[in-house]
Amino acid sequence: MTARKSGSRLETEIERCRSESQWDKIPELVRQLSAKLISNDDLGELLLGECKLQTYLKENPIKQGASPRGPRPKLVEVRKHLTAALDRGNLKADYLQEASLLMAKLCYVEGEYRDALGHYGRVNLDDMQLVGAPVYRLSMIAEAYATKGLCLEKVPAASPSLSNKNTGSPSSNRSTTDREQEIITCYEKSGDIALLYLQEAEKALSAGIQNRSPKPGPTSQDLELGYFLETGLQRAHVIHFKNGNLTRGVGRFREILRAVETRTTQSLRMTIARQLAEILLRGMCEQSYWSPLEDPPTVSPLDDPTRQGHTQCKNYSLSRRPRVYSGENLFCPQENTEEALLLLLISESMANRDAVLSRIPEHNNDRIISLQSASVVYDLLTIALGRRGQYEMLSECLERAMKFAFEEFHLWYQLALSLMAAGKSARAVKVLKECIRLKPDDPTIPLLAVKLCIGPLHWLDEGECFAKMVIDMGEKAAEFRAKGYLAIGLVYSLKATDASLRSMQEEYQRKALGAFQRAQSLSPTDHLAAFYLALQLAVSRQIPEALGYVRQALQLQGDDVHSLHLLALLLSAQKHYHDALNIIEMALSEYPENFNLLYTKVKLESMCRGPEEALLTCKHMLQIWKSFYNLTNPSDSGRGSSLLDRAIADRRQLNAMTLPDFSDPETGSVHATSIAASRVEQALSEVASSLQSSAPKHGPLHPWMTLAQIWLHAAEVYTGMSKPAEATACTQEAANLFPTSHNVLYMRGQIAELRGNTDEAKRWYEEALSINPTHVKTMQRLGLILHQLQRYSLSEKVLRDAVQVNSTAHDVWNSLGEVLQAQGNAAAATECFLTALELEASSPILPFTIIPRAL
Amino acid sequence: MLAMDQGVVEEWLSEFKTLPDSAVSNYAASLKEKGSLVPALYKVIRENYSDLLEPVCHQLFEFYRSGEPQLQRFTLQFLPELLWSLLSVSAARDPHTSGCIEALLLGIYNLEIVDKDGQSKVLSFTVPSLSKPSVYHEPSAIGSMALTEGALANHGLSRVVYSGPHLQRENFTAQNRFEVLTFLLLCYNAALSYMTSTSLQSLCQLSSRVCICGYPRQQIRRYKGISTRLTVTSEFLVQLITGIHYALCNGEVDLGSKALDDVLYRAQLELFPEALLVGNAIKSSMHSAALKSNNKEGARSIQVEITPTSSRISRNAVTSLSIRGHRWKRHDAVDLGSPDELMDISEVDEGVWPGGVGPDMTPPTITISNSVTTLNLGAKAMKKCRLGGRSSKDKDKEAGPLTTGRAASECAELSIKRLTLTSSQSVPKAGALTSLTRTASAVFSRSFEQVASGNAPPTSNHTISEAGRYSCSLQEDGLGYLSPAPNHTQRSPSISVHLGSDL
Repeated sequence: MTARKSGSRLETEIERCRSESQWDKIPELVRQLSAKLISNDDLGELLLGECKLQTYLKENPIKQGASPRGPRPKLVEVRKHLTAALDRGNLKADYLQEASLLMAKLCYVEGEYRDALGHYGRVNLDDMQLVGAPVYRLSMIAEAYATKGLCLEKVPAASPSLSNKNTGSPSSNRSTTDREQEIITCYEKSGDIALLYLQEAEKALSAGIQNRSPKPGPTSQDLELGYFLETGLQRAHVIHFKNGNLTRGVGRFREILRAVETRTTQSLRMTIARQLAEILLRGMCEQSYWSPLEDPPTVSPLDDPTRQGHTQCKNYSLSRRPRVYSGENLFCPQENTEEALLLLLISESMANRDAVLSRIPEHNNDRIISLQSASVVYDLLTIALGRRGQYEMLSECLERAMKFAFEEFHLWYQLALSLMAAGKSARAVKVLKECIRLKPDDPTIPLLAVKLCIGPLHWLDEGECFAKMVIDMGEKAAEFRAKGYLAIGLVYSLKATDASLRSMQEEYQRKALGAFQRAQSLSPTDHLAAFYLALQLAVSRQIPEALGYVRQALQLQGDDVHSLHLLALLLSAQKHYHDALNIIEMALSEYPENFNLLYTKVKLESMCRGPEEALLTCKHMLQIWKSFYNLTNPSDSGRGSSLLDRAIADRRQLNAMTLPDFSDPETGSVHATSIAASRVEQALSEVASSLQSSAPKHGPLHPWMTLAQIWLHAAEVYTGMSKPAEATACTQEAANLFPTSHNVLYMRGQIAELRGNTDEAKRWYEEALSINPTHVKTMQRLGLILHQLQRYSLSEKVLRDAVQVNSTAHDVWNSLGEVLQAQGNAAAATECFLTALELEASSPILPFTIIPRAL
Repeated sequence: MLAMDQGVVEEWLSEFKTLPDSAVSNYAASLKEKGSLVPALYKVIRENYSDLLEPVCHQLFEFYRSGEPQLQRFTLQFLPELLWSLLSVSAARDPHTSGCIEALLLGIYNLEIVDKDGQSKVLSFTVPSLSKPSVYHEPSAIGSMALTEGALANHGLSRVVYSGPHLQRENFTAQNRFEVLTFLLLCYNAALSYMTSTSLQSLCQLSSRVCICGYPRQQIRRYKGISTRLTVTSEFLVQLITGIHYALCNGEVDLGSKALDDVLYRAQLELFPEALLVGNAIKSSMHSAALKSNNKEGARSIQVEITPTSSRISRNAVTSLSIRGHRWKRHDAVDLGSPDELMDISEVDEGVWPGGVGPDMTPPTITISNSVTTLNLGAKAMKKCRLGGRSSKDKDKEAGPLTTGRAASECAELSIKRLTLTSSQSVPKAGALTSLTRTASAVFSRSFEQVASGNAPPTSNHTISEAGRYSCSLQEDGLGYLSPAPNHTQRSPSISVHLGSDL
């Protein structure tokens, strides 16, 4: 500031300093100003008064909630300056108004509310020009409205000393209402003008930076709202909510949010966006919602009914309003969840920006603040998205929260749960591991992990580890202890099914039985414990004992579909086919769309009522399949219209797949291919569980797997009727869906056999085995054919392998006996026949393992 | 039941029958004034054996069917009580089944699942996206967003179905029970603001009871009703939680928090991730929320305080925002070789990048991680980014000019941003995909042509049109398919097979 500035430049400079709150530069500028012209002295007084008042307020900020008291010695000087400016009356009208406003503000700071109101009465705030006003004056007007509101709140309504229009009448109910309305209007105007001021100030600032480049200067620091502007921006909606007037409060929130953001309002916007989202989620419903661009309903259940009279709409207009977001194709929410989501996504992006990353101790507090504000937003996001079943999107949002999540159990756990709900099982297990580390005492977490491990993932070893964690908690796990035993029992049970060595199978079966017994004794009222105990007994062919437990399970839970199914299979193992069929039909009356039951029904019907009935059931299944997948919508994963559409879209993957029977789109394959390429039982069980809404989510392939199964069942019925042509057609349908499925190839082999085409049949069986080397039924048929071709030793080898895989397949034992007999090994053959006989006596119509095992 | 209550209910029953159509809306408004009616109706529903139950259910259904919103809400307020009545009876395997309650609930369900024209109703909502301007924001102010698979898929606004279409149901079975009840709760939740506190209390009670009956906690709560366990589904619990959340925030703090605890307890035992997720979130947000409920007379107050508007985080703390500058400065300095902590952190800041193209190639994913671009590919990759940028310039203009200030260093970020846009544009370009879908649908249609052309009546118009649409592709293919010959001579359904040239 060496060179003297010319008059107009000096004024601009003063205006800029006032706009940018650079009060420390004012005295120097005033000195220059008064050196120019005598008449500027008054203006100088005004400026000095202002700068001293503002400096004082900056050094002694007024706290929210605290009211200023009494005159302060430091302010005496301010009063002197302002009185001087006002009294001489030489000022231009604009400046005179400014001086009055400053005087009123001073009065407020000193606690002289009535005097302040008197000053406002003289100025008449509503007449002040907003259009073309310099930036600092906008701020002044906004502060003035806020201060006026504050004063009006302090001064009792009936006070006669007011120079306002609405005085005079004695205090009545109506006048208090009017008074309240006036206060609110003051604050709302103040807020609107404050927003306008901030937008203009930011515009001026960025223009200033461009003009004054390249020297960046220290001016780029944020503007700070003082006490008055903060009050003006927020007090109106605080009063609305205090009065129970949700409609207007929400309206005010929306007005503030619709104004184009500035740097200074970011934090306010984040708070308000979150609060509005809270209100939308906690206090509103779809029917009471109105969109931001609509008029609010005149009568709303949201408002306090005792104060209905307050729902007047906004009744003022300003000559200039803050800029709002505008343009074509603006997204405007039409539903409370939509609006809440939009607001939360905006808050989330802001909260994310403020994530404090450094972990040095000095920033501990900052980190806690940023974590808290973010986790509130994430919790609300969870509530909003959970309601709408959008778990996939939720898991992505929560993933973004991970930058806050170091050692924060809640965020980790929520992420794990969202991944689980979104069907991203493998990642969910990984995150659950971290949760266990953070909270080792909670039995639910390892149980959730086991659920995934034995369900969609089929990670049995990991599952065993997690289940053992729960068991090791002992008494601490309380009600979850039984669940822990149940879990480990299931792991062993599945391992037994997968094991290729007989000794291993028996070992696991023994362990599984022990675990289930333990679970059952710990929790005798849990039908699942009794049911799985029964199932395990059934698998190891202890039919009467199994029947006992399944009855117990049914007493505890009469309409449990799996218990009913097991009961039917147990009855069929005892060759009570008609009873079994009755049970199945009863179960079907409660679960008409359960394909697993229907498959069993087909089998039983062709056994006791002839193949025609069975075919009718197949047809019925096709109808169910169609109506089911045509209509059902995947509420779980959301996008896309109907499940069918998605399934169609996913069909393109099928041809590329070698082992279609169980690919899980997320994890590659459910089972390690080494265990078995594919097994009907497993495919079936997955289909069965997919029909239950509580079961884990499944990939889009399931409808097609089900459909292929239906066709194959029909083909089987036709082969039973010796109708090779029809059977071929059915198989072809399945083959169109899964051309490389071993089940299809096996069925083709059967048809070839039916046609007497042994060579062709052998070729099909060999192909099936090349895809799934452990498919017992194929092995048995191949063994038989080799036997017919008199290749005894090879036949024996194949059949022995088959017995290794499944030691309870009685027809394999029988075939093995025949081969051994043909080879002249009568003693061994007898033993095989006896085993076959014994097993046949306890053999169910379909393997017990078609019943799904899941936690 | 007191004679007085009975009188009130009987009067209510006869009154509506004689009402002319024009007076319905006035009548609906006047229902509020009958103070003793609602408690009397609750009594009727609770006492399962009352003779009045059947006419009451009938009238409640008439109310619902009238289409008058106030009458519908009058019926809906009893929904929690009706649900409990139904569930407790079915759990107790009471031979005296509550047939009329079942009928009422199924009636409401069947009315609600269709729209005015009798078509299946599909409830959907739009998932907002920050990349599209809205009444509350402008995409350019948000800054660059993570280039995740999900972000690409949602680049535009997507409409998502959250309930429906549902099948008409004639009776409750074990399989459809919770599907129907979940949907009914969804309807109830849509009208939560209009529900009385008695109804909300009843909802909380229902939630508690459904979740704890038959479990050890039943003793703690000292509830002595039925003691058999009720099966629940995760979705049902989520709907209950939604209602409880509202009750909790609107005056029913005690019952609500008890109910929430009970639902969470059950969700833990059942290992339901969905219910646990939402329940935990509500619990944790209630902790931090400054919510206070005043007196019980429907005071729904949400407290809002004046908060300081300046950022509470000190300026010198390293935040996601402040660290952004760091990275790009380094980039300018062509300091490409040195891997350092800042790089790692900044990568996290951009969101988690998909690890690789999964075996299922659903949407085309672009996997570029920041550190890879800068460290390994260096200048080449940047060039590529700019190339991508040119093609999408117009799009970029739409998005508005970037915020001024960090001009020079911003250029790299800009090109990444453009990349985001190009990649998302390429999504619909995958033309091969659609043709695949078409053939797939053709194959598919064939497989249930059998059903469609059969004598079985199609379930809805919808399915007919669908079958029709696919039928032409069916002829082209000329593969074998099954069609059942209508039963003519004998009872057995002989299924004839047409063989195509392929076989």
